[in-house]
Amino acid sequence: MKYITDLILKMSSVDRRWIFLVIALAVILPLFFPMGLPIRATPTTQQVYDTIDALPHGSKVLVSCEYGPSTKPEIHPMVLSILRHLFKNEHKVYVTCLWPDGQFLASEALDLVARDEYGLTYGEDYVLLGFRPGNEAVVKGIVSNIRKLYTIDAKGTKVTEIPMMEGVNRFEDFDFLFSASAGYPGTIEWVQYAVDPTNVPMSTGTTSIQVNEVMPYVASGQVQGILAGMPGAAEYEKLIGVPGIGTSGMDAQSIAHLVIVLFIVLGNIGYLIERNRSKKY
Amino acid sequence: MLWKRHIPIFIVTLIGSLTLFGWFIDEPNIQSFVNDDATQWFDILASFAIFLGGFNLLKMQLQKVIRKKQGWQYSLFAIGGFILAIIAGFFYKGNPDVAWGTHVTADGTLFKWIFTYMFAPLGATMFALLAFFVASASYRAFRIRNFEATLLLVAGIIIMIGRVPLGSSISSWFIMYLLVLIGGVVINSVFKNKQYTAIFVSVGIIIVTSAGSSMGWPLDQPGIFYLPHLQEWIYMNPNVAGTRSIMMGIGLGIFATSIRYILGIEKSYIGE
Amino acid sequence: MNDRDFFIGAGGITFSFLIYWFMGHPFFITERLVMFLAILTFSGTLLFFIRKAQRGEEIFLRDIPGLKAVEEAVGRSTEMGKPVLYVPGIMDMDQVETVAGVIVLGHVSKMTARYETTLNVPVSRAIVMKAAQEVCKESYLVEGRPDMFHEDMVHYLTDEQFAYAAGVNGIMVREKPAACMYMGKFYAESLILAETGNSIGAIQIAGTASQAQIPFFVTACDYTLIGEEFFAASAYLSQRPELIGGIKGQDMIKVIVIGFILGGVIFRALHDGGIIDFNILEFLTAK
Repeated sequence: MKYITDLILKMSSVDRRWIFLVIALAVILPLFFPMGLPIRATPTTQQVYDTIDALPHGSKVLVSCEYGPSTKPEIHPMVLSILRHLFKNEHKVYVTCLWPDGQFLASEALDLVARDEYGLTYGEDYVLLGFRPGNEAVVKGIVSNIRKLYTIDAKGTKVTEIPMMEGVNRFEDFDFLFSASAGYPGTIEWVQYAVDPTNVPMSTGTTSIQVNEVMPYVASGQVQGILAGMPGAAEYEKLIGVPGIGTSGMDAQSIAHLVIVLFIVLGNIGYLIERNRSKKY
Repeated sequence: MLWKRHIPIFIVTLIGSLTLFGWFIDEPNIQSFVNDDATQWFDILASFAIFLGGFNLLKMQLQKVIRKKQGWQYSLFAIGGFILAIIAGFFYKGNPDVAWGTHVTADGTLFKWIFTYMFAPLGATMFALLAFFVASASYRAFRIRNFEATLLLVAGIIIMIGRVPLGSSISSWFIMYLLVLIGGVVINSVFKNKQYTAIFVSVGIIIVTSAGSSMGWPLDQPGIFYLPHLQEWIYMNPNVAGTRSIMMGIGLGIFATSIRYILGIEKSYIGE
Repeated sequence: MNDRDFFIGAGGITFSFLIYWFMGHPFFITERLVMFLAILTFSGTLLFFIRKAQRGEEIFLRDIPGLKAVEEAVGRSTEMGKPVLYVPGIMDMDQVETVAGVIVLGHVSKMTARYETTLNVPVSRAIVMKAAQEVCKESYLVEGRPDMFHEDMVHYLTDEQFAYAAGVNGIMVREKPAACMYMGKFYAESLILAETGNSIGAIQIAGTASQAQIPFFVTACDYTLIGEEFFAASAYLSQRPELIGGIKGQDMIKVIVIGFILGGVIFRALHDGGIIDFNILEFLTAK
């Protein structure tokens, strides 16, 4: 028994580099040997899906991409899934970006889904309006007069020459907003300056860390559901029936979480043993 | 005194009051200032200020190289990267068919190449460090020191496991058996009586097994022990309540701090 | 300003507004009246308690361990002959948290000037760099040590979030500061900074109102100022009556808000039960 407690004590004060190594293996191995753990959609993810599915045919949907390369693994899969869902239901998609990096990634997503998968026509089925500097001022500008803010799109074409921009002058001309957000400016600014004053429905997808900040808005009904990080992206991929990067990352995330929990439990067992010993002596 | 104290305070008070009270005034010029111009003025200032930052960075790195300070070789990378970004942004497109301006996102340009093959992987790598740091921080910090820390630990474990597909594969009956065993450990540490512990654990196992057999061992029933349901409840109830109260407190803090700046009560930003 | 001037001013503003209102309140967005009155009430509450403090009245503020530890941290750095690292967040001066961080930097730089400790302030925005340089310069001047100040103690790294985190981590690992302070607005890089600081054995004090990052700082740092405690830091460190009065005023505003919440719940329940027509949510919603 003493041997076991000594071993646990030794393991509970292990050098953090061993922890890093175990975590690395816990993430890498499931990527090479997938387990195919079943994915079940949470109520908040289901709410996003149901809201988009209920949109009338041919709705004008604004998709706002505010994420960068660092948060691409979490947010990009959900953007791809949302675009697939929107194009499958034949909605018109308008893409804006509140982050400069977002424009690169939005362009990549549109090329993959709209151009390559669905063979859609730029300017008639989808348009990339691009990034504009100004944080909340961009949101306020879109609310009041989108044409004053966007005179040209991301490719340099005049907005007046883009067929699907006809009749789109302000935020209220859109039927739905989806914000793929990794921080500031993002979901909260859209809720505060656009959605609340105009009552245009909105859903969002955020990084796992940001879910906490956005959850009060979901609970109060201001945001219709939330895709929470990579699990949310994987759940949405399951709902639309097209597995992608989100799904492939779930096994790794599951094992990594389990390993972290085991480390925490081990650390606490060691802590309790040490506390008992010091009480004895 | 006039330039260093009174004029800055006057500017802050004027612009702050205009931006705050302008929201209540239905006059196109004021609304335009409050909604668009005020933020854009700041963006324009910040855009020109980047020169200050850039020159400061270049100065620091060049000094390191010239004076051959420790690690000066790494400064060569910083200077090289700086120059490369300037060239890619202003002098060399790489794709002659693309116009200046749109060349930063167009395919085939040097800028896009730098973004895709250097900037993006480096950013993702730094973000990936969080996975390791979360593990080491959790391992070090989550200790059962008191009741609140224990509650935090249990909630954290439920969320971490319940959030991922693994959690939805764990039967609620497994959790119930686990709770019986943990209860046995607690009973043993409190009463220090092996008989009590054995009775508790045996009775617990019998109850759980009987209930499970009679219900047909459904994966997600009883719902209170099913991790995804538990984590959803924790997210939507105590978490949202706590988040809302912190948000309100922070909002009030921001309001009070801003009013102090506008009224000139807080003058530390000018060094006073 | 004495009591007479204050009440004359307050009375004048109220009277002018009433005249403006009864003249038809041209240009005023009526739907936002509740918010306008709330701002006036809350500002009045703040001013009342600020004046109370300025008159010499004792105001109790609870201890905040993180702020008490700031001087201890600077002292530790002095004893060890190592620098103090101060990170004022990654956002620009348009964020209130960044301004609060720069203000706390002013107090910290006074301590480093007093104890003759090296201060290193890497920043992520050029405007923050200039503001922080000014604040540090003034602090060193006030402490009578202008010779110790040099502009390069506040230096710009990069605007990019993770490149900044990498740069600060490099500074930590190379220079091994004895104290690391993170005061401002942070995002995902917070844990990277805090864990690296922990690995070098530095004492770490963090202060932020970024909700999502507070748990990471609490986990990895020795002391954390959570939300409003961070905004109260300037009052605690300076002990100036007007700032302490402001903190008290803030707490009183919170009491008013709690009253509104409780009253709102009752009114809403009565409305939902069909007992009254008045919908408090409609009344309080700012359009």
